[in-house]
Amino acid sequence: MKLQGEYVFDGPREVVWEVIRDPDVLAKALPGMKSLDKVADNVYVGEMNVRIGPVAGTFSGKLTVSNEVPPESYSLTVEGKGGPGFGKGTGDVKLIDQGGKTLMQYEGELLVGGTIANVGQRLIETVANSMAKQAFESINRSLQARLSGQAESGEPVAFQAPSQMEFAAGVAKDLASQMLSPEYKNFWVSLAAVLVALILGYALGRSSRD
Amino acid sequence: MDVRTMTKKYVGQRITRNEDPRLLTGQALFTDDVHLPGMLHAAFLRSDYAHARIKRIDTSKALERPGVVAVYTAADMGDFWKPGPLLVPPPTAVPGAVFHKRTQIPLAKDKVRHMGEPIAVVIAESRYIAEDALEDIEVEFEPLPAVVGLEEALSPDAALVHDDLESNLAAHVIQEKGNYEEAKAKADVILQRRIVVDRGAAAAMENRGVVVNWDDKAQELTVWDTTQAPIPLRNGLAAMLGLSEHQVRVIAPFVGGGFGPKIMMFQPEEVLLPWASMRLKRPIKWIEDRRENFLATTQERGQIHDVEIALTKDGRILGLKDVFIHDTGAYDPYGMTVPLNTQCHAVGAYDIANYYTEVKMVFTNKMIVTPVRGAGRPQGIFVIERMLDLAAKELGLSPIEIRKRNFIPPDKFPYEHNIIDQAFAPLIFDSGNYPAVLEKAAAMINYEYFVKEEQPRLRAEGKHVGIGIVSFIETTGVGPYEGARITVGASGKVNVVTGVGTQGQGHFTSFAQIVADQLGVDVRDVHVVTGDTAQFHWGTGTFASRGAVVAGNAIHAAAVKVRAKILQWGSKLLDVPEEELELADGKVRVADMPEKAISLGELAVIANPLRGTVEPGTEPGLEATDYFGPQYGATANGAHAMILEVDPETMMVEIKKYVAVEDCGTVLNPLILEGQIQGGLSMGLGNAYYEKLEYDNNGQLLNASLMDYLLVRSTDMPKQIELGHEETKSPLNPIGSKGVGEAGAIPVPSLFAQALENALADYNLEITEMPLSPNKLYEMVYKK
Repeated sequence: MKLQGEYVFDGPREVVWEVIRDPDVLAKALPGMKSLDKVADNVYVGEMNVRIGPVAGTFSGKLTVSNEVPPESYSLTVEGKGGPGFGKGTGDVKLIDQGGKTLMQYEGELLVGGTIANVGQRLIETVANSMAKQAFESINRSLQARLSGQAESGEPVAFQAPSQMEFAAGVAKDLASQMLSPEYKNFWVSLAAVLVALILGYALGRSSRD
Repeated sequence: MDVRTMTKKYVGQRITRNEDPRLLTGQALFTDDVHLPGMLHAAFLRSDYAHARIKRIDTSKALERPGVVAVYTAADMGDFWKPGPLLVPPPTAVPGAVFHKRTQIPLAKDKVRHMGEPIAVVIAESRYIAEDALEDIEVEFEPLPAVVGLEEALSPDAALVHDDLESNLAAHVIQEKGNYEEAKAKADVILQRRIVVDRGAAAAMENRGVVVNWDDKAQELTVWDTTQAPIPLRNGLAAMLGLSEHQVRVIAPFVGGGFGPKIMMFQPEEVLLPWASMRLKRPIKWIEDRRENFLATTQERGQIHDVEIALTKDGRILGLKDVFIHDTGAYDPYGMTVPLNTQCHAVGAYDIANYYTEVKMVFTNKMIVTPVRGAGRPQGIFVIERMLDLAAKELGLSPIEIRKRNFIPPDKFPYEHNIIDQAFAPLIFDSGNYPAVLEKAAAMINYEYFVKEEQPRLRAEGKHVGIGIVSFIETTGVGPYEGARITVGASGKVNVVTGVGTQGQGHFTSFAQIVADQLGVDVRDVHVVTGDTAQFHWGTGTFASRGAVVAGNAIHAAAVKVRAKILQWGSKLLDVPEEELELADGKVRVADMPEKAISLGELAVIANPLRGTVEPGTEPGLEATDYFGPQYGATANGAHAMILEVDPETMMVEIKKYVAVEDCGTVLNPLILEGQIQGGLSMGLGNAYYEKLEYDNNGQLLNASLMDYLLVRSTDMPKQIELGHEETKSPLNPIGSKGVGEAGAIPVPSLFAQALENALADYNLEITEMPLSPNKLYEMVYKK
């Protein structure tokens, strides 16, 4: 599975580099990360809770940083395994200076096996993107803290993969916003779309509670 | 209809099933219903990798968990660790055949070869504890490249599934009848195609399960198992465990669907748990969960065919050449049954003088392949029916016409194919009237009218409606043999015991009908016991659509013997010649003086004297045992037709009407037959448009849940199903029956493909692959 994305940090590249290379910041920023310890230069081990749809459990894994070109780019290799299966990912991260802001671009390949692949396949991408987004937002907050001269970063991000209820609500929201896009100019169509989305969201939410 | 007052024959009657009151009121015993005092529960640690070397296993933490009684790995098993037996002989009957036997192992030792392969078993006070303890086990793997694709498996740089073999080739068999190349030289039309069929699951409603109890004081092992073959399983377990056959009792109680994978014997769970129970002296239960069912229960269908058909310009087949690869998965315990069936069905119902068929069977890092309802037959039928459809298009013939021009004529039976079948006997079709069956199906679907009147009208309305019609054959009722013992009790009720297991086929009724006719008793007074080795211990099992044929005829033979005993006793006691007696209403009576009678119950008491003397050679009781083994398997046939409508935007399909005409010889019970056809049809539809096991390049199964693996729902079934019968009795058995257990599933993919092409005629679609899906069809139509 390919992973790809970008994020704009509100700070200069050198500081962003410093922050994302700080294991303490990462340990707090990655949703579900229980620990992240440096065991050698550029090698970290840690434990992480993961929930993908119906599959949940703890992964223990190793993170290796390589091909470092400060403050421009580096590569990451992540290997983890646990009750729900195993995962192995490789990725390249680039930081692009946008004068005061920094654009991070990343792309990589993720291989998963075991229960998360068998049962969670459909949801992996959604959850991976959601986790990445939460992590970046948290890192950005640490960045702001550092830039404003405060001590260490904010609170650790708890294990926050969306619940089925939130997921259902999100689906409904996306559906509604899609249907309310400009091509749906007819008011009644829009209204009907919103109703459908609300009902769907409610039904999905309900079924996840039952 | 009150069956109690019926005097006419039961065989052929549409009567409700004897077993249904128990099943419908929840009184039937299934394996999971077995609860024993002190029973432990097992859970298996299964490989997350499709292919990896095992470097280290550490079970110490799991053993520390409260409630865990034992944890076993291959290393703990000592000499008991052995690859399972080959369940079907190697194809040595075919000259030049190559076969490499690599059977499944109870627990992976040095490497894992498919995802879901068991590595360790935890036995604990509850399943919850056992499952939790699985996470305590540490296994260090060295991942290896997975062999997934069938052609890739044969590439010289492919990883080896079995390191001791030179390649992933598991078997190679070439069979030839006539001379294809010579036939091809004379042909007017030659068509070549690649045809691909992918894997599906059997997805029985009840997953597999085993409950074992070693009674140390009685020195007896009892095994409740969802197996389709209780007797061979008992024999094998006794041999493996060093027990006598009489110390092992295997009970296959009610089973919620077999469909093939439950004939796969000596699976790791059913071998390990009896061994563990003997060590721990405690009963143990394991019930497979749905995800395990996807990962640890055998599957079927994956084949890639390169086909060539040679015809005259008037549509006569001169020859057929089929070179294919068959995926056997990580091991090949079921020999070559599936690909041999494919070879025997790619000739279809047709008189093909020149036939070349070559199969390479390959090992891959996927679940083991063993028969699933159809067992290689749907692939063979898909190949020939598709090629005929393509030829018909090329030559401007109708699908019906090209089939009629090629059928084996009714006067050419028995028809010898000069190739070897799955039972290693020459493939011979015993009987049939193929044109009559096809014509009946065409008439029932109103083919001519639909094509000439209705379809043009509906098309003019913008509807994408299509019609399809195909023929097929099904080899059924193979040997070696089955047996039965029938006893009339003092109550006048009749007990029938036979060795086959039952998984919903209605055996308790159809077998009872056969016996009731012979003994003149009410069909509700015939009690049938199947699948308990303590009750009957000779036999093979339920597979290859053979229950009604082989066990049915064994039961018939035993009933004939009991009938003879009754007549003999009746003649003696009533002082009337046997010819003047009849058996009816549970009595033996004088035919033209019905009041002069003795009930079978009374007779049963008299036939078992408790004092006095008997004549030398007397056998006690109204009881007889007999066996039946056919000379070779009976070949059933049929023609199916359907009308469907496709929504070209969503590619959702609605089947408007479905017609199935079957010739399975003597019909024992039309109601049960209908159920078999409808059930088979839903499976066939799954293979055509819904069910596909998706493996990624690493051998990970990506849809191992019923959330992602689409089973056919009742709303996907045809709105209207009509059944028709043609009856050519099989000359191979006294009842004249042929099997029909797989018939519903076999023709569906080929029929569905033809009807889809017809419905989407504007798009000039050519379907050479199964299963399809709405997505796949959409891509085929719009992204060409």
